[in-house]
Amino acid sequence: MVRDDAGMAAVTTAVLLPLLALVLAGVLQLGALRVSAARVRAAADLAALIAVNDQDDAALARTGELRLSSDAADVARDFFARELELSAPLLAAPPAEIAGGAEIVVYPAAPATDPRTGARYEHPTLRIAAQVPLRSPAFGVLALAPVTVVDVLAVSSPR
Amino acid sequence: MRSAARETYGLATLEATLMIAMLVPLLFAILEFGSALERWLSQDAATIQAARYAGEVGGDSPEVRGLLADQLRGSGIDPSAVTVEIVPPRVGWREPVRVSVTSQHAIAIPFLFSTTLPLRSSAIGRGEVNR
Repeated sequence: MVRDDAGMAAVTTAVLLPLLALVLAGVLQLGALRVSAARVRAAADLAALIAVNDQDDAALARTGELRLSSDAADVARDFFARELELSAPLLAAPPAEIAGGAEIVVYPAAPATDPRTGARYEHPTLRIAAQVPLRSPAFGVLALAPVTVVDVLAVSSPR
Repeated sequence: MRSAARETYGLATLEATLMIAMLVPLLFAILEFGSALERWLSQDAATIQAARYAGEVGGDSPEVRGLLADQLRGSGIDPSAVTVEIVPPRVGWREPVRVSVTSQHAIAIPFLFSTTLPLRSSAIGRGEVNR
């Protein structure tokens, strides 16, 4: 009876080891995805901030009101692509394509209500919404999707 | 009977040693890589702040590097051990300025390996100084 149990722990460990290695790969992939998602969200935030920082100076001098520049949406898209380019190895699509497909909306007059989010803006606002595909190769090994899509939303107003 | 008991006792010790040799690296891998990812996130956040500030002040300046050093220090990263690049050093109105920060993070996994991971962060700001 004693002899029957001998070596069972070693066998169990040997059998479980690949499973534990897969769990480890999944945990590390989740961590890496968290970093990637934070990066693309920061990219959108920074692009929105940069776009609203460039205000319509003529309108500001004339009316004393902060207004978005007429090219704010283009600037936001351009800088969103530039920021994403810095994280290109983490992305499952070209940065220009992701930025090109982003929904960038300018609300030049306030108050305004965003039909997508239902948010009410009390100042002129620029909003970026994008779906960013991120590489997750370890999930692919685990028979899950090798690409994880992250929803990104960034909103900014001139102050 | 005594011989069988002694044999089982020895086997249990051997099995425990084998299990520890396999499970401890797994545990340390989770802890060490988790720590590296946390540090990477902090470094990213500090780099983004520095890029925004570099755009505001018109490029590379002691103020930008000071802000970056403070942010890194606050995240537990030694600023003297990181490489900082601000390109171009002087930026004009509406021109992009890129801030890159690279640091080395040591990882040690018992029974397996120890190495250093390069953590790279970059962000782009936009020049706000009309020269």
